Amino acid sequence: MNSTVLHGDAASKSTRLTSSLKRHVTIKFLSSFCVVAMILGVAALPTAGPAGAASKKTSITYWFWGESDIPGMTKWMQQRIATYEQQNPDVKISLVPQSNTTIIPSFTLAAQSKTGPDLDTQWATLPTILPALGGSVTPISNYVSKADTSHWLNTNENTYKGKIYAMPLYMIGVPLVWNKKLFKKAGLNPNVAPTTWAQFLADCKALKAHGITPFGMGNQDGYFGAWMFAIYEKQMLNSISQLTQGVAGTGNAETKLLGSLKSMYTSFQTLIKDGYVNSNVESLSLNQGWQLFPQGKAAMSFTTDGNALSWAKTIGEANVGAAKPPILGTGTLAATYDVTQSSDEFITSWSKNPKADAKFLEWLHEPKNMIALNKETGAFPADNQFPLKDITDPLARALDKLDTSGTSVWLENFIPPQIDSNADIPAGQLITSGSGSPSQAVDLWKQQIALWRTQQPTQFKQFSAWASSGS
Amino acid sequence: MQHVRNTLRQLLLIGISIISLYPVWFMLSTALKSSKSYTLDPTGFPTHVTFANFSTVIHSWPILLWMRNSLFVTVVAVGVSTVISIMAAFAIVFGRGPGRESLFRSNIALMAIPPVALLIPMYTLMVSLGLINQLPSVMIFYTGLLVPFSVFFFVNFFREIPMELVEAAYMDGAPHRRILRKIILPISGASTVTLVIVNAIFVWNELLVALVFLQSNTSRTLMAGLALYQGRYVTNEPLLMAAAFFSILPLVVLYIFGQRFFVRGLTAGIGK
Amino acid sequence: MESMNSPSSLQLSIETDERSAPDERKVWRRRHLWPYGYMAPVLIALALVFGYSFVEVVRYSFYAGSVGQLTYVGISNYKELFVDPQFIHSMFNNFKLLFTVPIVTILALALALVINTTFRGVRQYRAIVFLPYILPATAMGLSFSYLLQGNGVLDSLLKTLHLPFLIHDWLGSPSWVMFSIGGVIVWQQFGFGVVVFSAALLAVPGETIEAARMDGANWWIVQRKILIPQIKRIIEFFVILQAIIVLSSVFTYVYVLTGGGPAYSSSVMEFFIYQNGFANGSIGIASAGAVVLLAIASVFIAIYLWARSRAAKAAG
Repeated sequence: MNSTVLHGDAASKSTRLTSSLKRHVTIKFLSSFCVVAMILGVAALPTAGPAGAASKKTSITYWFWGESDIPGMTKWMQQRIATYEQQNPDVKISLVPQSNTTIIPSFTLAAQSKTGPDLDTQWATLPTILPALGGSVTPISNYVSKADTSHWLNTNENTYKGKIYAMPLYMIGVPLVWNKKLFKKAGLNPNVAPTTWAQFLADCKALKAHGITPFGMGNQDGYFGAWMFAIYEKQMLNSISQLTQGVAGTGNAETKLLGSLKSMYTSFQTLIKDGYVNSNVESLSLNQGWQLFPQGKAAMSFTTDGNALSWAKTIGEANVGAAKPPILGTGTLAATYDVTQSSDEFITSWSKNPKADAKFLEWLHEPKNMIALNKETGAFPADNQFPLKDITDPLARALDKLDTSGTSVWLENFIPPQIDSNADIPAGQLITSGSGSPSQAVDLWKQQIALWRTQQPTQFKQFSAWASSGS
Repeated sequence: MQHVRNTLRQLLLIGISIISLYPVWFMLSTALKSSKSYTLDPTGFPTHVTFANFSTVIHSWPILLWMRNSLFVTVVAVGVSTVISIMAAFAIVFGRGPGRESLFRSNIALMAIPPVALLIPMYTLMVSLGLINQLPSVMIFYTGLLVPFSVFFFVNFFREIPMELVEAAYMDGAPHRRILRKIILPISGASTVTLVIVNAIFVWNELLVALVFLQSNTSRTLMAGLALYQGRYVTNEPLLMAAAFFSILPLVVLYIFGQRFFVRGLTAGIGK
Repeated sequence: MESMNSPSSLQLSIETDERSAPDERKVWRRRHLWPYGYMAPVLIALALVFGYSFVEVVRYSFYAGSVGQLTYVGISNYKELFVDPQFIHSMFNNFKLLFTVPIVTILALALALVINTTFRGVRQYRAIVFLPYILPATAMGLSFSYLLQGNGVLDSLLKTLHLPFLIHDWLGSPSWVMFSIGGVIVWQQFGFGVVVFSAALLAVPGETIEAARMDGANWWIVQRKILIPQIKRIIEFFVILQAIIVLSSVFTYVYVLTGGGPAYSSSVMEFFIYQNGFANGSIGIASAGAVVLLAIASVFIAIYLWARSRAAKAAG
């Protein structure tokens, strides 16, 4: 039928036939091409791969993340690797950068196939502990002595049943940063940060009245919402176990948790509804939204120490202020600050050379490397041998003072990754995109917690045991 | 009147051409800007052309490796699926015996199966075969995915070949192997090229399977690499656009030289 | 050398098989069983990639957990699927994308009719319009993500054109995001439609059109009464094919443009399966989603097969 349209009609068939015979050579070429293709396919089989080649080098594949927290982190790591390879010619380390959106999915996938990196970066606590309990992580304390781990800060974030699963590299706090120039422009005192939620809203109002976007963030990847959860849901709670017991579903803990989530999302919604956040918050990723601050297009933001220091270089240190996020909640934890090792480094259970892996990680904590980390990025190494008092930069000093001011918690690390990606992230997007109410956001949490419990029965059991152990 | 109509038509076509090409132009012009000048003027003509982004992509991204992987996967998957589909189509059209027509029909149905529905079982299979992060994992999957359309395509083509041509040889007692080689293949040249191009485009452009099967940086295909680097370089638009431009360049070049094969092959699924 | 390949010499060049008389069973086998040998590789490939997968995906849909720690849960995955807002959103979004089918069809048909004559540059225009169809959605999606971003290129263009009421956060607003993704799909598929319809129109015999013209029919009548009915079948197939495409291969657009957000509002079934099966590692619920997708896809496939057999009958 009509197909002839596309293939030439029947009348011309015979002429085409004759002319096609001239393509005999083409055919020979094609068939030999196909044979070569098959040979190539066979040659690509793993046994014939370079792994079989007689090379005695220990090769370490490292899936690394950190740039988003601290600009310059990747460069520092590349320099370390170059030095380490020079000192240890028998070791070859290939660094694979990860992004916010790939860090968890990539490792979840690797954990299912038990192939992939020898060293991996994960966010601390549950994103590390749950895969560890699923058999994908070799505790680093099996290979590094107590004398060494004792220098590491915040190892409690990844300790369970006496084992330390991962190594911290740096510590970051999450301050509110503000642009002093823009504050002045709006008639606000450039040296005073809002300390309460009401003051924060009042400052936003004044900024907006002067045509300045008060708050710059990005939620395309859901991390603005996740940060609001981490900072403000925490302020609603008296203890972390209120969260973990709620997720585990013990007693009426869940109802209480959902109630506190609702008040958090209600305040979050006000911020959006009153137009205090950049209007394209939903189509910018966290990292893209952050660019508004150093570009002078937004007056405030929540960010990490590392970014705050990097932005101060762009718009001048005198113009950047950093303070604790304004207080909204009345929970006991409202008094804490938001400091964490954020990400951590660990050895995968399928790594062939855990000893070599551990040796490299341990080496990263040598004082000269930790000092280089601070020099390169301005960030604070997670090592108590690092001479913090030598820091002279005033903004860095201010940030350090915040970081060490008391207890610190990053709440997002205490929910299972699946709940983070299926509830925390979309619930925040309901609010920022204006497509859902706070109670719909809370319903989503409820649904997704229930779904996770039935879809990941093993993980749920492990989580409940971990939660009740009081970690 | 005729004149006005012609002018209107030209204007319409110019407008449509601009819409069709603008995203490609945006990609190229952004790639030629520095990050700073992009921020200042995202849409403007690149006044200070820089090739720094291209050289960064080549030197500090494993993009040439990804390209090689893509090429390798494409050649093998397309090659194998073409050969086995020609054999099967030949048997379906010129062979005898029951079951041939049902094989043809099932190929038509399988053409429209969403690949994602096969992804989980194929993934677990590749895990147990130890092929995750190895190129053969995607080669096998792609080969299977290409077969239904290829068989369909060749069967339709073979059915247009006059039966007498084959029957005469058959009467002479020539074995089918020789009939395939000496009669069928020589007249299938153009069609084979067409099919190879269609299938190659599919494999080159495929993202989902590559994203799941090829996680290690050295085994990624170009599309998977690009998608996974998106998150990390999203704030460096010119760099990302330079990498994206690399990924479309081979296709654009091929298209310029082999347009008729593209058009004929890609429209062949319609109407048969 | 070339002359060797004339049809007659070709016939001669086929040697008859006269090697020493093979025993009869061998001959019989060669006569009757060779097609199965030739079909075997394809059968193996299909059995592995399709057959095995169909069986396994159904089996997995009754389990929960990740690879390596699966627990049998019966049909609970299916029950959960239909209370999971992400899945429901995803399924409806696939259906929503069906709106692109009539748009692509009508636009492409209209342009094909307009350029259905020979005039200067027609081939070049067709080539340009077809180009987007072959370009990788990953790369083009990246380009579009910057164009469609809130306060992005499109919005600043609208601003300079003084059309502020048209400015939207194209990818970040739940009410616009599916239109934006649909728009990119239309952008890519449009050229395909134009080329398909142009080819079909070229095959309509010129005499029919001439006859109608002689009868005084104007341009529009000729298109509507003569040309469109003549290519009705092609239009049908095109529509079905497009419907299958928006149902089963739009993952790349979603992954690159929005990541399914905001809040699932641009997720599609493929993305749901990827997200849950691979990013979260819950392969049971993802498999159940895949089974539902297969069920929906088979409806479309059945329509396609039905249209084919009807067309074959009509063609005699």
